[in-house]
Amino acid sequence: MYHIALKMLMGDRGKYLGIVMGLTFASLIMTQQPAIFLGLMTRTFSFISDVGLPDIWVMDSKVQFVDDIKPLQDTELYRVRGISGVEWAMPMYKGMLKARLADGTFQTCIVIGLDDATLIGGPPVMLQGKLEDLRRSDAVIVDIDGAKDKLAKPSATPGGKTKPLQIGDDLELNDRRAIVVGMSKVSRTFQAQPVVYTTYSRAKNYAPRERKLLSFVLVKAKKGQDLAQLTKRIRETTGLAAYTSSEFKDLTYRYFMKNTGIPINFGISVTLGFIVGAAIAGQTFYNFTLENLRQFGVLKAMGTSNWVLLKMILLQAILVGSIGYGLGVGLTALFGYSMRNTILAFRFPWQLLIFSGAGISLICVFAAIISILKVIRLEPAVVFKG
Amino acid sequence: MKTKWLLPLLAIAGFLFASYTVVNGSKPTPVAPAVAEPAFAPYKAFIAGAGIVEAQSQNIAIGTPLPGIVKSVAVKVGDQVKTGDVLFVLDEREHRAVLGVKKADLSKALADVKVADASLADARSLLKIAESVTDRRAISTEELLKRRNAVLIAKAKLQSANAFVQQTNAGITDTQTTLDRLVIRAPVDSEVLQVNVRPGEFAQAGALSTPLLVLGNLDQFHVRVDIDENDAWRFDKNSKAVAYLRGNRQFKAELTLAYVEPYVIPKKSLTGDSTERVDTRVLQALYRFNRDQIPIYVGQQMDVFIEAQDVSNTSNNESQLKPAGPQS
Repeated sequence: MYHIALKMLMGDRGKYLGIVMGLTFASLIMTQQPAIFLGLMTRTFSFISDVGLPDIWVMDSKVQFVDDIKPLQDTELYRVRGISGVEWAMPMYKGMLKARLADGTFQTCIVIGLDDATLIGGPPVMLQGKLEDLRRSDAVIVDIDGAKDKLAKPSATPGGKTKPLQIGDDLELNDRRAIVVGMSKVSRTFQAQPVVYTTYSRAKNYAPRERKLLSFVLVKAKKGQDLAQLTKRIRETTGLAAYTSSEFKDLTYRYFMKNTGIPINFGISVTLGFIVGAAIAGQTFYNFTLENLRQFGVLKAMGTSNWVLLKMILLQAILVGSIGYGLGVGLTALFGYSMRNTILAFRFPWQLLIFSGAGISLICVFAAIISILKVIRLEPAVVFKG
Repeated sequence: MKTKWLLPLLAIAGFLFASYTVVNGSKPTPVAPAVAEPAFAPYKAFIAGAGIVEAQSQNIAIGTPLPGIVKSVAVKVGDQVKTGDVLFVLDEREHRAVLGVKKADLSKALADVKVADASLADARSLLKIAESVTDRRAISTEELLKRRNAVLIAKAKLQSANAFVQQTNAGITDTQTTLDRLVIRAPVDSEVLQVNVRPGEFAQAGALSTPLLVLGNLDQFHVRVDIDENDAWRFDKNSKAVAYLRGNRQFKAELTLAYVEPYVIPKKSLTGDSTERVDTRVLQALYRFNRDQIPIYVGQQMDVFIEAQDVSNTSNNESQLKPAGPQS
């Protein structure tokens, strides 16, 4: 019986390809669009992911997301250090400063100031140079994407290709000299600005004069310390906000979800993909069932039960669904792979596989149900009418 | 029937590739390790503060009483100096010239005294001759009076000349004092920590942001710890304290309290820079430690932890909380 079902399905190659392509298309859109969406949203908190060492971030209680810097007094660092359960606490400066390039143009950079002694919070991957090189005078570490693109040196001849920034080159940050001593690889940030790492005290010199400059206090909890309790204790003792890394990521993520149009845009794309996929696949599948109605009628007249017919249709639906789904996610992965070196945001977690799988299943079930209703209501006599 | 298998195979390949992408993409971001292990507190509850190492005598910023060009610097960094040793000398040519003029004035004044002396002797002898005349008719009363007055005037002139000698002498002493003030000497036995003057530079009088010379007694070090005013109430003079060297937490020193400055001051730069931001007030406690324990220099920063009572569950036992702050 199932063999007949498969024969029926693949017999008409055009219809078969039509259904599979509809489902592939739906699956592609339902995977690729959310992947880009997730990629974009991951970028909003990529900085938090990059700073992996501390457990807890302490900041002003009014901070809404990671780029919303409300600086603290320098002494808050020592207040946080004095809380029991804290293994260490380190200062971090994060701010936007203007770098002046050799040709006189200005480029806004994210400047990160790390604790002078320990350099905690440094870039995850160093491509050239060492993090310790930051101890040299006027030293900064630049991220490779920024060095190749936004901070690149202009060519000697007008209209020529720009030269990437290299170790030993200098920059001008807020009228002060900065020497590149290393190249790092960081996760891309949402606004795609170059990231410049330096020490905390040097960052204070680069930053415009302000009364407060401490952006974050990075805290490592003692071994065995319950993080929720520690954040509560920090909040109670200092009156500042304290989040674990994942809480801070959530905070940032929620801010972007609530205050930007990104989720709506991508939500619409995904819904459209679903609707169009459902319409194409559902309609083609229904058409295909209609065309094969005679065969079903024959089978029914031969005494095949409704239950077996139902299983046959389900098998057909599952088969085209799986093929469409596999092709769709495969194409998405291929898309992500081919775009891996571009600025495109792309992130493909396992949840997304399940999400698009569920979407495709829904379409298949929908398509199968309308076909099944038609077959069950079918009178075997219809075969003899034509 | 190749096409029969083509699509399912492609689909399986696609799914596998997607799974590979998922596994590959969900690798956690590598974590940048700390270059140096940060200092951590050996106590359960503690106050943390930044400390700056200073000499026991505190760091003495040497000033000059008079502004001027530096002529010579007699010491170099690291020299041990005794009280009264010359540190540097300012240009004294102008005052030397004044001294020469004043000395010449003195010789002139001394000569003037001699002249006045001679004039007096002359007047006296003339008066004597007149007085020795017995016949009153031989000399007029007017003439006699004139000669008497001449003696008085000569006496007064001699006094004036003598006074001028004194005045000139005082002037010379004044110039010599000025010359002496151009030589800057060590106020105490100490070591030269910093020399910021070089011959030919202009040394400004008054309090400077960069002192001309820094002296300090390095027999024992003190570490000056800033305690945030918000934490000051938890500070207990009798609790233990420990300081870690920045950059290598293997180096630590046990601290003993030397004294507490009971006046809470605006937080000043630990870097010594006069433009550093003043953003809060701090209590400063000074701790003593043995300088042989760790390799350390004056002016270096340390991470200091002072043991304090545990206030992690303040809400439960508010009544047990006693202020540890100002004690007698």
